[in-house]
Amino acid sequence: MIKQVENPIIEIHDLSVAYERKPVLWDVDLSLPEGQLIGIIGPNGAGKSTLLKAIMGLLPLNSGYIQINGKPLEEMRHKISYVPQRESVDWDFPTSVYEVVMMGRYGQLGLFNRPKKADAEIVMDSLRKVGMDEFKNRQISQLSGGQQQRVFLARALAQQADIYFMDEPFAGVDAATEKAIIKLLGEMSAQNKTVIVVHHDLQSVAKYFDWIILLNMRLVASGPINEAFTPELLQETYGGKLTLLTEISDLIQKHRFPNRE
Amino acid sequence: MSDFYIILTGTLVAISCGILGCFLILRKMAMVGDAISHAILPGIVIAFLWSGSRDSVTMLLGAGTLGVLTTIIIEFLHKKGKLQADASIGVTFTWLFAIGVILISAFTGQVDLDQECVLYGEIAYVPLDTIILNSGTDIGPKALYLIGTVLVLVILFVSIGFKQLKITSFDPEYAVALGISATLWNYLLMAFVSFTTVASFESVGAILVVAFLIAPAATAYLISKKLKTMILLTCLIGFLSAILGYYLAASLNASIAGAMATVCGLIFAIVFTYIRIMSKKVTKVTKFESVKA
Repeated sequence: MIKQVENPIIEIHDLSVAYERKPVLWDVDLSLPEGQLIGIIGPNGAGKSTLLKAIMGLLPLNSGYIQINGKPLEEMRHKISYVPQRESVDWDFPTSVYEVVMMGRYGQLGLFNRPKKADAEIVMDSLRKVGMDEFKNRQISQLSGGQQQRVFLARALAQQADIYFMDEPFAGVDAATEKAIIKLLGEMSAQNKTVIVVHHDLQSVAKYFDWIILLNMRLVASGPINEAFTPELLQETYGGKLTLLTEISDLIQKHRFPNRE
Repeated sequence: MSDFYIILTGTLVAISCGILGCFLILRKMAMVGDAISHAILPGIVIAFLWSGSRDSVTMLLGAGTLGVLTTIIIEFLHKKGKLQADASIGVTFTWLFAIGVILISAFTGQVDLDQECVLYGEIAYVPLDTIILNSGTDIGPKALYLIGTVLVLVILFVSIGFKQLKITSFDPEYAVALGISATLWNYLLMAFVSFTTVASFESVGAILVVAFLIAPAATAYLISKKLKTMILLTCLIGFLSAILGYYLAASLNASIAGAMATVCGLIFAIVFTYIRIMSKKVTKVTKFESVKA
């Protein structure tokens, strides 16, 4: 089930990516609507992060091309914002919360400009949105996992982009942070921003997203949640992994008969 | 006057190496400085064989080229060859250094170019090789001008590219997503490390250059909360090492470069011990408070 859309914000054609000649993504072809919360779902090693990085041009493509709003990526770089996985950086780096969020402005600042008052305001505003403004002078090594994730979110917000890519923003965060992130995602999509999230927790998929991409090296489905989040398609995505399959069928049951406690 | 020149040279080398060293440490590439300082030997020999002269500019060009080449080989082995970073560094610099040794022993037997002077330099000779103008005025040691120029260039480079160097050190992938080339800034930094190493090393020797590249920055890393503080502290520690090292050497009548490197190590040890003691005290206090709560 691959649903193509009119006037897509992101269009991917025949995308294949391989590491060391071992294919990770195979012939992915999809288009995504603007202003939606989009989840990329699939088992471990399905190429979820790879797809995200490929769209942002962080990996060499073996074939295919990607268009953002009908234009090549390089022209649209300033419209794109990225929240990498928390573990991808060294949190002992000598810098403060404020400085990390300011990095979100570096793309616009260019080589010779220093951050101005307007940039400082954007940074403080982003920190407020994730509830980290009180921690602005804290050294990043003294943050909890959830706070680290919020700092990364604030940094992405400071870019003031239209499209946000997030790599597992809910991984290992506390309940309060998860709630804060969800609230923020809702606000962003209300402002017609497109948010694409790599997600592995099937429990919350139906609750969080408007549109999902089911991925397992090749594209299984891409469509609105009520059409694509079906037992058949999930089975196709996670196929063969029996323990997972039973979990999925439980989930589908719950999904059909909501718990009314 | 010669005391002053030696201390000043030491300080200038310490500061230019230290500033670059901060970024090397944060990129977990501290040993690259060591690698470059050895791997440029064949560059120096080839430059000498090519031009037949031993002037600084020729040597700098030869060594600088090899320094950048070393970085490229290390990056290639690490990124494309999937070899661990430390293993790629180890393989690259040992064979390049060995080639340099063979070139020296095979082709430059009759001339004055030996490993001793290339590797160890001698900071005590700095005041002897001065620039004397046509009018006969002595305007100070040649090495001082060379290193002074390098320092100015390093400061310019780091202050212009501060944002880029910081973001590519902290989160290179994010930098690329913003449109800042992590590869470009990595090579620029490594090119600066090569030229600084080479320029410094003729006067102070490889051992002291490697010490100044890593030890003051590592010390500052332990006690800094911000990158700018870390860089400033590194400069201060470098200055202290140069001045204390000189007087240590004078009082023991020992190698000046050796004494300066020793002081670097001592300052690191003192700061490290201090941090350990302080962190133990803090944990005790929190334990006590949690019991009370």
